[in-house]
Amino acid sequence: MADYTVSELILSRAAKEIHDGEMVVIGQGIAMGAGVLAKRTHAPNLVILTEAGLLGIDPFKVPNHIADPSCTRGFTYSCDMTDIFTTVLNRGYVDVSFLGVGQIDKFGNMNSSYIGDPDNYEFRMTGAGGAPEFVGYSGRTILTMLGGEFVETLDYFTSPGYLEGGNSRYEAGMPEDSGPEILISNKGVFKFDQVTKEIYLSEIHPKVNLADIKSAVPWDLKISDSLIETAPPSETEIEIVRNFAPEISMGRALQIETLINRVFRLLEKNSKQEPVHPLPNE
Amino acid sequence: MQKYMDRDKRMTAREAIEQFVNDGDTFAFANCLYSMPLALSHELIRQKKKNLMVFQQGGVEEIDQLLSARVIDRLVMAYNFRAGGRRLVTPLDRAMKENRVEVEEMTNHTLLSMMKAGAMGYPFIPVMSGIKTTDVVKKQGFLKDQRFGETIDPFSGEKTLVVKGYNPDFALMHVQRADKAGNGQLWGAMINSKWASLASNKVILSAEEIVDTEVIMSAPHLTIVPSHKVCAVVECPWGAHPTELAGHYDCDMIFRALFFGSTGNDESLEKWMDEWIFGMKDRQEYIQHYIELYGDDTLNALKAKPYLSTPADYGFTFNQTWNSDGYSNQLGLNKEEFVNMLKEKGGLING
Repeated sequence: MADYTVSELILSRAAKEIHDGEMVVIGQGIAMGAGVLAKRTHAPNLVILTEAGLLGIDPFKVPNHIADPSCTRGFTYSCDMTDIFTTVLNRGYVDVSFLGVGQIDKFGNMNSSYIGDPDNYEFRMTGAGGAPEFVGYSGRTILTMLGGEFVETLDYFTSPGYLEGGNSRYEAGMPEDSGPEILISNKGVFKFDQVTKEIYLSEIHPKVNLADIKSAVPWDLKISDSLIETAPPSETEIEIVRNFAPEISMGRALQIETLINRVFRLLEKNSKQEPVHPLPNE
Repeated sequence: MQKYMDRDKRMTAREAIEQFVNDGDTFAFANCLYSMPLALSHELIRQKKKNLMVFQQGGVEEIDQLLSARVIDRLVMAYNFRAGGRRLVTPLDRAMKENRVEVEEMTNHTLLSMMKAGAMGYPFIPVMSGIKTTDVVKKQGFLKDQRFGETIDPFSGEKTLVVKGYNPDFALMHVQRADKAGNGQLWGAMINSKWASLASNKVILSAEEIVDTEVIMSAPHLTIVPSHKVCAVVECPWGAHPTELAGHYDCDMIFRALFFGSTGNDESLEKWMDEWIFGMKDRQEYIQHYIELYGDDTLNALKAKPYLSTPADYGFTFNQTWNSDGYSNQLGLNKEEFVNMLKEKGGLING
């Protein structure tokens, strides 16, 4: 078996959640990588779109952001952001969307806005962006969590998961059968109970201790009776990911390091330029 | 409503901002992430405009720059890019902590819906009601109750979440091409451009190139903003650098990293701003400066290779009313027969 990085493990696990013939909204990073890996393996008829209005893209590299058409030679439908949210999402065409998690609670509600009291916060994340509507109205949402945390109470409620659990999400107006499907963290895979909608551990990543997972959850985390080890990426999958998205394989810290190296190479071309304030690491 | 019907609105960025922007105005960025009108927003900064309120879907460098120069003091947004992890204190963080800016949090869809309702001249527009469970709706910022409301759908009787329509005083927008009257054509990522430009009372437009109106007329489906909305047209190659623009250039990640590398404290950020904004007369000088520092090869490496759209054929027979023989296919008459008919049957008035 080939060696792999934790990003490659998360990405390949996420790709397995995507089925052929589906319509998937991708952002950047792991979501885009998972969409493309699925399309190049078991889901050739996948339709990939971004919320900026690029529908039917066929990315040959990881886009810089949701409105980056330089990652694809054309696409099938050029529309705007309200078209995506209304004519595509609100009419029920989106099967799957992705979201990176900052904070998540027991019922899959999420925070991507502020850590700490929003009026005197410790850390401001990116803000809501398209997350609330995508999590609210997509058929399924695949959540990935690298630096995020489980909390009893969110510091800021950005995106609706299963609210108070049970049927509360649907009573609040979100479509039947919609909602977060799976959370893939750097330690394991979590799913949501069909009735109570409480999150539980269903797979544990290779070489991870159960105690490590449980200690990062501030309540008594439920564990699946049939807990299994997460399937590692195959050699073919690793090869596809590294060809398409080496930036994702290497993870954020190494991404920043390689970018800084490129900056310094550029600055060496010009001795007039003084060194910049160094970029902070993750 | 002020209409902008002049046939030739070409001017410099400096003239456009001087003439059409007042301190205290509200404005919208009519691009987001892609094709950002950074040459125009740099001009706002150079002219030290004050107390502006801005609508932007998702900010990258533009918001940090405007905050650093104290141009904006109210910000309505859905997303702001973070270059680094938890230890980085961004210009937005510093501005918020020092109470130099009030922030109103929205979602991408609801913010753009505010623009769409405003563009259509409607007081409000329904949005997806499920998000009323979130703090985005529940926590009010400086717009207070002038964002979200709830009304009854008169047809179903169901409660419906709505957002208020807004009309900013002006929009800044960058496109691939425009004619001198300001018919602006954009392609690639359409994102917020249509609704943010049409919502605004006037649009200050920059374009990579100014083309003849005939070029516009041969591809009217590409016109994203029509000339009656546009008060100024600025010819501005590299006007969206370091963001990307189809048919022109890729994103300049290294230059962007240099900027974000400077944002960790006010001193280094101000040094960057002095060099690249205050120290430059216009975008042309900025690009010259770039070439002097990093070389032609660095800039050329960003330039797009062509990938041409198959032209749409807008052709018809183009039969004129009267052909070269003076005969009309439409009437089945020649000009003489037509005049005789008017004389005999049309009741010509003797002038």
